[in-house]
Amino acid sequence: MAHVMAEGFKFRYLKTPVHGLDPRVKLLMTAMLFALALLSSNLYQEALVFAAVGVPAALARSLKRLLRIAALSLTFSLMIFAVNMLFGQPLLESAVITIRFLGIVAATSVFFVTTSPDEIEYVMRWFRLPRDFVFAFATSIRFVPVLMMDLTQIIDAQRSRGLEMDRGNPVRRIRNLIPVLIPLIVNALVRSGELAEAMEARGYGAVSRPTSMHALLMKKNDYAALLVLVPAWSLLITYFLGLL
Amino acid sequence: MGKIVEFLDYTFEYSGMERPAVEGVSFSVEEGEVAVLAGASGSGKSTILRSINGLIPHMYPGRRSGKVTVDGADVSSTPTYELARKVGFLFQNPENQIFMFTVEKDVAFGLENLGYEPEVIRRKVDWALGLLGISDLAKRSPSELSDGQKQRVALAGSLVMDPKILVLDEPTSLLDPRTAQDVVSLVSRLNKDLGLTVVLVEHRLELVSPMADRMVVLSGSRVWAEGSPAEVLGREGLHEVGLSPPAIVEVQKRLPSGDGLALDVDGFVRRFLADVGHRV
Amino acid sequence: MSVIEFEDVRHRMPNGVVALDSVSLKVGRGEVVAVVGGNGAGKTTLLKHMNGLLKPSSGRVTVFGKETKEESIARLSRRVGLVFQNSDHQIFSESAKEEVMFGLKNFGIPPGEAEEKAGRALEYYGLADLAARPPLTLSGGEKKRLCIAAVMAWEPDVLVLDEPTVGQDYPSRSRLFGVVQGLASSNRTVVIVSHDLEFLWPLSPRTVVMSKGRVVADGPAREVFMRTEMLRDAGLREPQLLQLSRRFGREEPFTAVDQAAAWLTERGRAN
Repeated sequence: MAHVMAEGFKFRYLKTPVHGLDPRVKLLMTAMLFALALLSSNLYQEALVFAAVGVPAALARSLKRLLRIAALSLTFSLMIFAVNMLFGQPLLESAVITIRFLGIVAATSVFFVTTSPDEIEYVMRWFRLPRDFVFAFATSIRFVPVLMMDLTQIIDAQRSRGLEMDRGNPVRRIRNLIPVLIPLIVNALVRSGELAEAMEARGYGAVSRPTSMHALLMKKNDYAALLVLVPAWSLLITYFLGLL
Repeated sequence: MGKIVEFLDYTFEYSGMERPAVEGVSFSVEEGEVAVLAGASGSGKSTILRSINGLIPHMYPGRRSGKVTVDGADVSSTPTYELARKVGFLFQNPENQIFMFTVEKDVAFGLENLGYEPEVIRRKVDWALGLLGISDLAKRSPSELSDGQKQRVALAGSLVMDPKILVLDEPTSLLDPRTAQDVVSLVSRLNKDLGLTVVLVEHRLELVSPMADRMVVLSGSRVWAEGSPAEVLGREGLHEVGLSPPAIVEVQKRLPSGDGLALDVDGFVRRFLADVGHRV
Repeated sequence: MSVIEFEDVRHRMPNGVVALDSVSLKVGRGEVVAVVGGNGAGKTTLLKHMNGLLKPSSGRVTVFGKETKEESIARLSRRVGLVFQNSDHQIFSESAKEEVMFGLKNFGIPPGEAEEKAGRALEYYGLADLAARPPLTLSGGEKKRLCIAAVMAWEPDVLVLDEPTVGQDYPSRSRLFGVVQGLASSNRTVVIVSHDLEFLWPLSPRTVVMSKGRVVADGPAREVFMRTEMLRDAGLREPQLLQLSRRFGREEPFTAVDQAAAWLTERGRAN
């Protein structure tokens, strides 16, 4: 089970025009979509938001993944809907608020579906975020699959010793987690200790401003994308703000 | 040539421990040598290795006396990032020393830390990848690699900093025999081609003793023996200090004659046949 | 009678990789079987089928006549005890004694009896003095023996060891060898998954060689180990005593250092 989760967590790089864009362009695009989603105030505008999100998602061949993410946030959306209704908002208003939330989720997801953790790290470096922060981000993502493998092996080992995790009353079930969580934490600590040694051995912190082998470079496609994105967005946002 | 690593009456006790991890240790490694550090678990091998690249005492506090000199620098007064240029360190588990999402980016990590120019980093990274035969893996994610490939990536990440000394802490213990042999042969090649001094810890003595110039055996925190592998493995009492000499050495020790030990089967057979032929 | 039987087993992992392919294998009662092969050969996947942690995608695995698909992991584990490679993946208790008690409690053994069995297992594996120690403070070799004791305490019919010698130093290896030898001579069924042929050679058990998810050889060690090319292709290295035997063209290979030395001394004199 943990194995499947580890697989799901992995970023899948697809060769599409959207994946190939400079991560900064993808970030800008996401910010634009986010702004549209946030400002949408009626069902027509919301339909436009989904269309605007749908185009890059389709180009990135990631519509299905995006829909899956939206489906996951559906429960939460329904809660928003229920709360709104409860506080006496009219049906239409509640629907608009709920759909707006879904639009925001879809818009932000475009970035994470098309941008690898590696590219996110580049963008973080480009923004000159503190080195420790960027490094912590990178390693925590990098080690997710590793810890998932640890988890699988620990669960296998304890089940082989007769542990039946989903048996008994709720209290018992929580107690059943102890033989899994303790080795997981101990292993994570051991790993982070070794990680710290290896960082030190490779000169981490030698200079206050480390360099980067790769620099982010805007290519023709990126400028082309901006040429389409900026006017289209400006048009939409003026309409959304009611200035059109 | 000369002493590139030197321990002089060196004692180290980790804070909070009741007895020293190593005590009164003196030995040295000549430039360009392959030195094998052997001994049972807990004999102090890891402490010695970490005292070469300055993790001890800079990262681990403790009580210390005596002196460790590496390439002319006193380890205790040299910052670890300075030592990182001199000493490459390969740990047992490659998984925990690969930080980045792609192979080439990880190999670049050390040079970025030292603030090299991007073009220089690019050139050195390409060189290191080529040296270890993993240029084709440059853009791959570490999680897609086999154990042997991961160990090569980690090795590239050390060598890219152009160290004079390579320190390896049980680099093959998680690998299968063939992959382990590959890594050991690779290290031997680097020693010959680059003149790299190698200090390594390894339990499988049959794997490393044929390529070693020097062997240092630790027992109970102290140096129990030091010399050429043939000298050291020829001694009595190895089992008592927790070492198992290669089977071929054990066989030779039970034979009546014998001047000097052969460290692999081929060497032994050649010598034995010559010896027998001689007496006919 | 075979206690574990694989019939044309295929296992496809969630990511589509075929980890086991047309594997057929029988382990008889009282047999010691070594499963050898390089990293990624499918050894661990094979082992996880033995107590139902993994189920075949096609084919059948039966344990004591029952198909693993129809049994719970707990019930299967009661009879087939697995000890995994990394001790730190299972140790979690405050004392060595409690670590051993864990399995006994899970299997519903009454407290008094469990105490007694735990005490006996600790004693047998030379850990009686360490019973109260937190297991995380034990040495690598002690941890390994504790993990074996923690399984053997509930007296499974079959013991399966996954790479028991990885990362172990010589004193720990030789103790482990004693443990395996003791189990073999008391007619226990033992499966050892390993790539450490130097360790297995003096024991010379029936050996199953795996490569790329398939069984490529199955027979007595003395026959299987002689197929040097096949071993090398499977990511293994031939033990030095065997290399030596081959260099002198011996049909009956040396399994012990003393034996080799005696023969060579004789040969030296004869000339």
